[in-house]
Amino acid sequence: MLVAAVLTVLLLLAVVLSLSLGTPYVAPADVLRALSGAGTPYDLVVFDLRLPRVVLAAVAGAAFGIAGTLIQSVARNPLASPDVIGITQGAGLAATVALTSGMAAVLVAPTALVGGLLAAVLLFALGARHGLAAQRFVLAGVAVAFGFRALTEVVMLTADPIDGLRAQIWLIGTLAGKGWTEAAWIAGTLLVLLPVLAWAGWALNSTALDDDTARGVGLRPVARRIGLAGTGVLVAAMVTAQVGAVDFVALVAPQVARRLVRAERPPLVCAALLGALLLVLADLAGRRLLAPTQLPAGVLTAAIGGPYLIFLLLRGRRRSS
Amino acid sequence: MLSTRDLVAGYDERTVLDGLDLDLPADAFTVIVGPNACGKSTLLRTMARLLTPRRGTVLLDGTAIRELPTREVARRLGVLPQSPLVPEGVTVADLVGRGRQPYQRWWRQWSSEDGAAVDQAMALADVTDLADRPVDSLSGGQRQRVWIAMTLAQDTDALLLDEPTTFLDLAHQVEVLDLLHRLRVERGRTVVAVLHDLNQAARYADHLVAMRAGAVVAAGPPREILTADLVRDVFGLACVVVPCPVTGAPLVVPAYTGGNSAGAASLSVGGLGGSAGSESVGGAGGSVGSAVTGDPDSSTASVPGARPTTGDAATPLAGSHPSKGL
Repeated sequence: MLVAAVLTVLLLLAVVLSLSLGTPYVAPADVLRALSGAGTPYDLVVFDLRLPRVVLAAVAGAAFGIAGTLIQSVARNPLASPDVIGITQGAGLAATVALTSGMAAVLVAPTALVGGLLAAVLLFALGARHGLAAQRFVLAGVAVAFGFRALTEVVMLTADPIDGLRAQIWLIGTLAGKGWTEAAWIAGTLLVLLPVLAWAGWALNSTALDDDTARGVGLRPVARRIGLAGTGVLVAAMVTAQVGAVDFVALVAPQVARRLVRAERPPLVCAALLGALLLVLADLAGRRLLAPTQLPAGVLTAAIGGPYLIFLLLRGRRRSS
Repeated sequence: MLSTRDLVAGYDERTVLDGLDLDLPADAFTVIVGPNACGKSTLLRTMARLLTPRRGTVLLDGTAIRELPTREVARRLGVLPQSPLVPEGVTVADLVGRGRQPYQRWWRQWSSEDGAAVDQAMALADVTDLADRPVDSLSGGQRQRVWIAMTLAQDTDALLLDEPTTFLDLAHQVEVLDLLHRLRVERGRTVVAVLHDLNQAARYADHLVAMRAGAVVAAGPPREILTADLVRDVFGLACVVVPCPVTGAPLVVPAYTGGNSAGAASLSVGGLGGSAGSESVGGAGGSVGSAVTGDPDSSTASVPGARPTTGDAATPLAGSHPSKGL
């Protein structure tokens, strides 16, 4: 509870900071005044230029955090995330095909969504035997991921170099030039899934029990895993289709949140908040570090998340030894 | 309470139980024994609906268990699988709380009733002091008591346990079995356990089920059915059955094999207590002491030495508290 409150405050601070920094610089007080609807000279900058992207970062980050938590819990593996089990690669292949075949720009995201969902279907078909057991689920996902990645490379190499570069940037994941539309798709998905997510937040608690014990206390572990994993890949496919393959948020947010609340399983709400915070900060850093050159958010999430996870791992090992 | 009708069950290609009919008494401590791979765990898992039978039914109070919602079954029947996986980092109170799962929904997660049931279960299993400890930091005996506490929190009439004493040292085995015994006597629970140790089975069971090759060879009170013939039939082991000096329950003593189990078995039966060897020495007490001490190399005849401390209390203990005398 306390952790969630602190994370919310930090997220709001990061949002204000992100709205304030840039060219032109808008003082935080003016940002707040503009947000309250008082009518300031900065309304255009705050509302039209920066807010859509910051909101998208927050919503997408939250979605990555949720997807990662669900997938990691079913896989019983802290390394599992949408880009390990092939969802990202499925969306990536579809987006690459769309971008290199001259498809209309508005069709890229829907195509990527279809690709991600196809990968999910394949993952379930391969992993479903023996009730979607953790290890089989991960192995099936790794196989799907490698398959789609190989196909993506083939498409890239045979494509026009300029199109290939656009696909490359999409694959890294960037929020540049995106805003309300993408945010609305992701937020809409989360909103529709809200009852399912409320159930999932509770059902996650019991994924740590082995199947016999779970059945003994009246659970249906296989149905539960399919529900949780299905929700996770659905969210992952949607968010990846909208913002591209932003690395590491889905992997790191659940693990950091778990350590912050000292729970044995990643907590859903805190992972969502942390994912949002991480992506807002990563996008801000990407915008400002080498300004006016913009770095894709995906580069920054990997750069921030990687070392932080290493730090946590080292600290964890010392404590447990 | 629990019955099976024409039960056929197994794994993949292998059929383990083939047409099993069995009735387990209510309000009793039933122990299932038998050699490795005889199907006792399969039977327990099928009765606990952890394994779906290929044919036949398991009846819980007369209703086919498959037709009951699993959540309702979980309120009537608790089960402790063989060596369950300990979730990483979870505390004792948390794990015991999982036993309340059948009473919860995602929109109604924790009630004061749940809290009371968890407290009571932890007190019964004597793990209240460990409540805030991570389960993976506990010893095997403590851990087993925590698992039992979890099934107790389920607040069920019946409890099925698959080898609850495996991997425990003798003192902890007795501790766990005493707990189960207390549950039956003081709480009126029906307890069904698979055990490896015949002597513990005889000591604690009200009702003994002996299995071999997927079939029930004998079932009934241990004092009536546990004989040297039964042990030879079921386990292929030559032995002497004598009354336990502490409880009076049948005590199975393997025959002397001289380190050569195949050839020496028949020899030693003769050497050990003469004619008593292949028959049950019986529930009659009395002459048994002499049968045991009649061992020519009486270097191991420690039983009489132990008797002065426990001997006179032997019979009265049998029904109440099997290990209090120790």
